[in-house]
Amino acid sequence: MLKQCEGSHAVAEAVALSRPEVICAYPISPQTHIVEGLGEMVKAGEIKDCEYINVESEFAAMSVAIGSSAAGARTYTATASQGLLFMVEAVYNASGLGLPIVMTVANRAIGAPINIWNDHSDSMSQRDCGWIQIFAETNQEAADLHIQAFKLAEELSLPVMVCMDGFILTHAYERVDIPTQEQVDKFLPPYSPRQILDPAAPVSIGAMVGPEAFSEVRYLAHAKQMQALELIPKISKEFEEIFGRNSGGLVRPYMLEDAETVVIALGSVLGTIKDTIDEMRADGISIGVLGINSFRPFPVSAIRRALSHAKRIVVLEKSLAVGIGGIVATDVRMALDGLDKRIYTVVAGLGGRNITRSSLHRVFRMAMHDQLEALHFLDLDWNIVNKEVDRERTTRRSGPIAENILRDLGQTKSNVG
Amino acid sequence: MNKPFAITLNVGSSLANKTGSWRSFRPAYVNRLPPCNNACPAGEDTQGWLFHAESGDYEAAWRHLTEANPMPAVMGRVCYHPCEGACNRGQLDSAVGINSVERFLGDEAIKQGWKFAAPAAETGKRILVVGAGPSGLSAAYQLRRMGHQVVIFEAGPLAGGMMRFGIPKYRLPREVLDAEVQRILDMGVEMRLNTKVEDLLKTMKEEKFDAAFLAVGAHIAKRTAIPAAESAKILDAVSVLRSMEGEDKPMLGRRVVVYGGGNTAIDVARTAKRLGAEEAIIVYRRTRDKMPAHDFEVEEALQEGVMMRWLSTIKQVGEGAIQVEKMELDENGKPVPTGEFDTLEADSVILALGQDVDLGLLNGVPDLSFEDGVVKVGENMMTGYPGIFAGGDMVPSDRTVTVGVGHGKLAARHINAWLAGTTYVKPPKKELATFEKLNTWYYTDADKTVRPMLDIIRRQSTFDEVQGGLNEDNALFEARRCLSCGNCFECDNCYGVCPDNAVIKLGPGKKFEFNYDYCKGCGVCVEECPCGAIKMEAEAS
Repeated sequence: MLKQCEGSHAVAEAVALSRPEVICAYPISPQTHIVEGLGEMVKAGEIKDCEYINVESEFAAMSVAIGSSAAGARTYTATASQGLLFMVEAVYNASGLGLPIVMTVANRAIGAPINIWNDHSDSMSQRDCGWIQIFAETNQEAADLHIQAFKLAEELSLPVMVCMDGFILTHAYERVDIPTQEQVDKFLPPYSPRQILDPAAPVSIGAMVGPEAFSEVRYLAHAKQMQALELIPKISKEFEEIFGRNSGGLVRPYMLEDAETVVIALGSVLGTIKDTIDEMRADGISIGVLGINSFRPFPVSAIRRALSHAKRIVVLEKSLAVGIGGIVATDVRMALDGLDKRIYTVVAGLGGRNITRSSLHRVFRMAMHDQLEALHFLDLDWNIVNKEVDRERTTRRSGPIAENILRDLGQTKSNVG
Repeated sequence: MNKPFAITLNVGSSLANKTGSWRSFRPAYVNRLPPCNNACPAGEDTQGWLFHAESGDYEAAWRHLTEANPMPAVMGRVCYHPCEGACNRGQLDSAVGINSVERFLGDEAIKQGWKFAAPAAETGKRILVVGAGPSGLSAAYQLRRMGHQVVIFEAGPLAGGMMRFGIPKYRLPREVLDAEVQRILDMGVEMRLNTKVEDLLKTMKEEKFDAAFLAVGAHIAKRTAIPAAESAKILDAVSVLRSMEGEDKPMLGRRVVVYGGGNTAIDVARTAKRLGAEEAIIVYRRTRDKMPAHDFEVEEALQEGVMMRWLSTIKQVGEGAIQVEKMELDENGKPVPTGEFDTLEADSVILALGQDVDLGLLNGVPDLSFEDGVVKVGENMMTGYPGIFAGGDMVPSDRTVTVGVGHGKLAARHINAWLAGTTYVKPPKKELATFEKLNTWYYTDADKTVRPMLDIIRRQSTFDEVQGGLNEDNALFEARRCLSCGNCFECDNCYGVCPDNAVIKLGPGKKFEFNYDYCKGCGVCVEECPCGAIKMEAEAS
């Protein structure tokens, strides 16, 4: 049914339709509306046989999720930013134990300085945690991916992180087609755990394992993710058959055939990029975009195949690996190992900075003419940066950077003296 | 089950490591003495019976309570509840309403018709109890439980002593008293009313009593010499209150002056008000804070319109008026005359100056000693004459119902031992569970449940009971406010906090024990016990 609704609400409805049995979450912007919505639905009795557990922190949220999932309950939680970091130890345990928990990460920057707006720093910090990480481009896809995520997680017995851009998606109202319960039930069977807990036959889960077995356990975790590379497109196809629309998959090509320049990106910014590309194509420029839907596992072959004709690649990413540059770009380089292609990294949209079509036009054209430096920071205000660098060079007690910059910008907030 | 490789393992165990060997201190469960029990003149195990009431098992609570006191419905009305004054909860919000729960249990027992069990075996010993007041009834009950034959000789026409002839109905309805007395008699206690013992030794010999417990009370009103006109109407409080139980109610007039500052003065003034007196004035030579009467009773009397004339003595009683002299307190707080006089209109003057004991029955009993008009007894409640014990108001005491009941119980134990040729030794007092030993953080906030009071107009005109009782709901709530000071109530805290799983749960009602094989002696259980029921002891080196 078509609905005009907030992205968070669409996700809450999709999760509810997936018949979760335990929902445990701690509020943090911009994820809060999702679990708020689910809390209301549980309270109103709209989700049958579901326990909503209030927890005292994100660490507790993931710990409870581990317990309930191990006990055989379909388990959901959501978090963002500092919340994700706070639960990290348990995040690794969830994947190490192979528990099919589904978690939304409403992508948000990480402090300091504290910043509640969108970028991909939070989930990127967990790229090696063993969870499957899939990114939503639109609210429709965010809703759809959650339904697919439960199926994916439970078939593999691995946790899945559904990443959606904080505020840009979570707080945006747009048209979403909410599926019916019959459709979801047809697509998603009840959870049948790999192992069940039975007091009559006690086992120890996640206890100490020494060097004799640890490497094998880690390899098996990797092998499972490799299986996901086959399963994700399969599930996407099954989804399309029942729901009648294409959602998910490994990668999403757009105007890729014959494109000399290919942009790679994740999440909602793909919309702006596609609009830009439409305009550039109208100008006769040979450019396309490849959206990455599955970041973990990283679809090396699919990307290599999709980029076989490209001359140059611009990886535009909302994250920064401080000290080297791109995170996604590094993985793309790996996918294109041995091929002779220029790869540019454009770091954009950090801490919620708008990514505008005019800026994209500019960097894409610079890339086309191979005038872009290997690592480019979109719309960076060099005046500000140079001032601060100069200040630090000349003054020992130069003070806090963020406050200095705000003062330079003339945005003296009440708490900046 | 096909277990995930190296993730799900067979259950292992570290039980081979007996970490208890590291210990230098060990925790031990203890039962400390709750301050309520410590303060109870009747020796009730207050915390013990509240524990049963907390789980709604009122009969078990009542049975536990009545081991010490056979009259909880009476006590729940007339006791001045020193337990509540000592209650640790008083330092937290307000004391547990122990007295109101006791009354609820007493009333419930009457409602449900609960009876005392007959003694398991008869001893064949015969004991005389003189006086059917609180102390005599308490002793008779305890002695009967022990299997002795008990005969109560009561000089008055009805049982109860001062509970009937001293305490007004509005504080203790007579049907409550009757029910609790009858239940004692139902155990096989014989009661002879209107039977005054004139010669104790003779009576004992004639009826072959093996021992006697005397509890004749103190009901001879003290007099004071006040110049009075021939027609002046001077009464005493004991007689006035006693005559309230008869057919002919006392005629007191419109303006009644009561002389004295004790609880009896208050009782008689409130009674006068209810009998229709327009003015009931208490004349007392000192100030309110020096009054022996309990302050809440003074307050209730004031609410009902009883007036107080502090720092005054009665110099002369005339016809329709009295002369009072104003007093002032000297530097030692003693009242001294000022020479200033005043006149009060009064149709009658009631003296409430205390009571003496009628010791007539002891004539001819050798080896007794007396002090201030009362019989001296030893710690075993025995007088100087072997086999004759005494208690209640006729021995040195605070003269309350509760003290009387306590004397009866204690005397019964000593009589029982004396008859067997042994000595009763009180078990040593346990360490007191003081407030500092509690972890009050763990208890939920809960305000005291206040008992309903009768409407003021009815209080001024009828003898209906002033203070109402709790119902089952709020009695349960009130019982659950008990902090269980010094005694485990199975909250599972120790079980939950023990880092070594060394607390073994023995099941409901069976509490816990420590597994000293693994207890490292960290003391977390002691720190986190809400009620101070665990203590650390040094290991023997």
